[in-house]
Amino acid sequence: MQKEMAYSFPDEVLKHVFSFIQSDKDRNAVSLVCKSWYEIERWCRRKVFIGNCYAVSPRMVIRRFPEVRSIELKGKPHFADFNLVPDGWGGYVLQWIAEMAGAYPWLGEIRLKRMVVTDESLELIAKSFKNFKVLVLFSCEGFSTDGLAAIAASCKNLRELDLRESEVDDLSGHWLAQFPETCTSLVSLNISCLGSDEVSFSALERLVDRCPNLRSLQLNRAVTLDKIANILRRAPQLVDFGTGNYAAELQPDVFSNLAGAFSSCKELKSLSGFWDVVPAYLPALYSICPRLTSLNLSYATIQSPDLIKLVSHCPRLQRLLFLIQVLDYVEDSGLEELASSCKDLQELRVFPSDPFGVEPNVSLTEQGLVAVSLGCPKLQSVLYFCRRMSNAALVTIAQNCPNLTRFRLCIIEPKTPDYLTLDPLDAGFGAIVEHCKDLRRLSLSGLLTDHVFEYIGTYGKKLEMLSVAFAGDSDLGLHHVLSGCESLRKLEIRDCPFGDKALLANAAKLETMRSLWMSSCAVSFGACKLLGQKMPKLNVEVIDETEPPDSRPESYPVDKLYIYKSVAGPRFDMPPFVWSMDEAVKILH
Amino acid sequence: MELQLGLALPPPPLIPIETFDLNSYGNYETREALGTNALSWPLLKLGPADNDINNIHHHNSSSSSSSSGGGAGCKKRSFDEAPFFDEKRNVPKTLHLLLWTNQPNDEDDDPSNVLHENSSSAIFKNDGEGLVGWPPVKTWRKKVHHQIPNGGAENNCLPAVENGIGGRASKSTYVKVKMEGVPIARKIDLSVHHSFEGLTNTLMRMFGISDGNRKSFKLTYQDREGDWLLAEDVPWRTFIRSLKCLKLIRSRG
Repeated sequence: MQKEMAYSFPDEVLKHVFSFIQSDKDRNAVSLVCKSWYEIERWCRRKVFIGNCYAVSPRMVIRRFPEVRSIELKGKPHFADFNLVPDGWGGYVLQWIAEMAGAYPWLGEIRLKRMVVTDESLELIAKSFKNFKVLVLFSCEGFSTDGLAAIAASCKNLRELDLRESEVDDLSGHWLAQFPETCTSLVSLNISCLGSDEVSFSALERLVDRCPNLRSLQLNRAVTLDKIANILRRAPQLVDFGTGNYAAELQPDVFSNLAGAFSSCKELKSLSGFWDVVPAYLPALYSICPRLTSLNLSYATIQSPDLIKLVSHCPRLQRLLFLIQVLDYVEDSGLEELASSCKDLQELRVFPSDPFGVEPNVSLTEQGLVAVSLGCPKLQSVLYFCRRMSNAALVTIAQNCPNLTRFRLCIIEPKTPDYLTLDPLDAGFGAIVEHCKDLRRLSLSGLLTDHVFEYIGTYGKKLEMLSVAFAGDSDLGLHHVLSGCESLRKLEIRDCPFGDKALLANAAKLETMRSLWMSSCAVSFGACKLLGQKMPKLNVEVIDETEPPDSRPESYPVDKLYIYKSVAGPRFDMPPFVWSMDEAVKILH
Repeated sequence: MELQLGLALPPPPLIPIETFDLNSYGNYETREALGTNALSWPLLKLGPADNDINNIHHHNSSSSSSSSGGGAGCKKRSFDEAPFFDEKRNVPKTLHLLLWTNQPNDEDDDPSNVLHENSSSAIFKNDGEGLVGWPPVKTWRKKVHHQIPNGGAENNCLPAVENGIGGRASKSTYVKVKMEGVPIARKIDLSVHHSFEGLTNTLMRMFGISDGNRKSFKLTYQDREGDWLLAEDVPWRTFIRSLKCLKLIRSRG
């Protein structure tokens, strides 16, 4: 009886129920229940997230999900951010746009990360999708202001244009003027990555003027401090604002104008930008500090005393602030102040002001992070660059913050041991994975042996992403991770003595992960070929810019290796320095 | 595994080893599930047969066990045969392509030996100027830092970087390279090159120019004053010190 009832729901009812299910994981589970649910679900899926653009082909996505309105794609591996992936590697979006142009006329949202986007792609987007609303190009490259002009001119209902951290070819600042006078729909605009010549300020002002729903605006560095007031007065409804330059000679009228403009923004909760800060202008922010939940000062060379003043002059700042990104000029003392004031802090990122200097230029050590861990029990996400660390500090941090979900520690000098005992930092990181049971992302640094990987394999059951550099002694380390970390999706390794054994012994594990990157390790060409041959569900790619890997003995290690699961087979757009180990593809170029 | 650990850890989970015969690819036994990942995997499995690419790709999947599930294989399958309904679907949980022994690495093929041989070149790739991509700070952040006029930067900072990352100031040794007729610029690491020969070889490879066509291209560069010059007209040292970006142009005549 019960069984029959279940199958007698009309499709429309199921469709309606499914429309409440937004998460991809849940949708995937739904699609597995039975044939009819699979069918109904695939017709009503509107949003698709593809974590690796080479894992599946556009045609496959279109065939399964015919009614998509929003797509998110990621291209290059994460290490591309640090110049480890050579230019021309891939991640081109054009083919995706071309296929979707035909299949998804109602596509409204495209979000891309680490992809190569040409002006041609942007022009195609502009003319293909009549209802285009959201374009996010996060850390992308390959396009110029000409492409942006096409988007601005054609997308009549554009809501969101976010170019954060992208590299844009500077041709002309007049693209902003291409937004027609009838365009009043902008909600979010992030042009912080643009250079000096790429923005016409008057066009920007007019645009801000006519978009009453603008909630998020990030200006670029070229916009000077005196112009901020003009913008803010035109958009007092802003929730999220990124200043341009925050430096100018102190002039009372400019200051009071600025302070007044900030105070008129009653909804402002998040601030960023602050290139070239003149501390005298910081008090202009005091009126909004009590409301701030997010503050990004990671470009601001604001010294510790100025930061302490900022924090302490705003008595209620402490309660609302939960994300702060600062350069390490903040020093231990600044972090200690932060720890005592901002009890709700959830995310802390401290970037190095002088990453290549040999001697520490500021007094920022592990103490700052320990202080924050002690004072901010809600801390979930840490990115911390420093020059020394100890196991004791890490154990303390682990015990103080069991809710950590992301922990990325970068001790600037590779293989730095515990500065107190000169031991490896195995025990410290071991404590992190042991105590922080929900840890999803971990980046290691310092002197580390195979032991740390044993801890990670034993305790890191929820770990999804692991970044490793200059660590470990032998294949045993890699074996611990691959055999122990059940939730592992992304593993990126550089300069570690990991070779063939662990990789081959855990080959099947790779099919359960999104991707594996290994560079400057000891994996042989022969092993890569074997993996490529025996694992059809994986794309095994060897990257070598100096010479073809088969011009050397098979036992010779490859320079860089990128392995990812894919149902699309080997890709077609490999540059000459990328070799696919798939049998179906000629290895010799 | 005989590791003496300082902290009290539970004994490491025993990893049962099974023999694996490369010749009989499909004769492995499955183990307990690797968690729920087996379920999320089918997102990428498509019921009906896939396009030609996959047929080529999986042409040898008929020799593997039923666990290869979603691979379209050599025949078109109707939806009913799609993998999610196959109770006995075996996901290769611990497919070994190598028998994991608990023996310490053999001296002969110790991969770390190979690494040591190369480690000096790997670690000091930039001729002692620093590691590539370390510390892991994003490129645009490096740009920002070295445009900071005040603060402790003076001891390390050279004249401010312009819009590219070609300036030595950033200690990054990458410069932009464009080829005539190609819209997308590339970047090349200058520090690994010590002569025009080496640089040209790399560029030819980068842009896929065969040896035969090499002669029809000339290498030009833009110097700090903004002038475009022929690379071969100046000595290597002058070239390296003054160049801002590169361009390959087709030589006429």
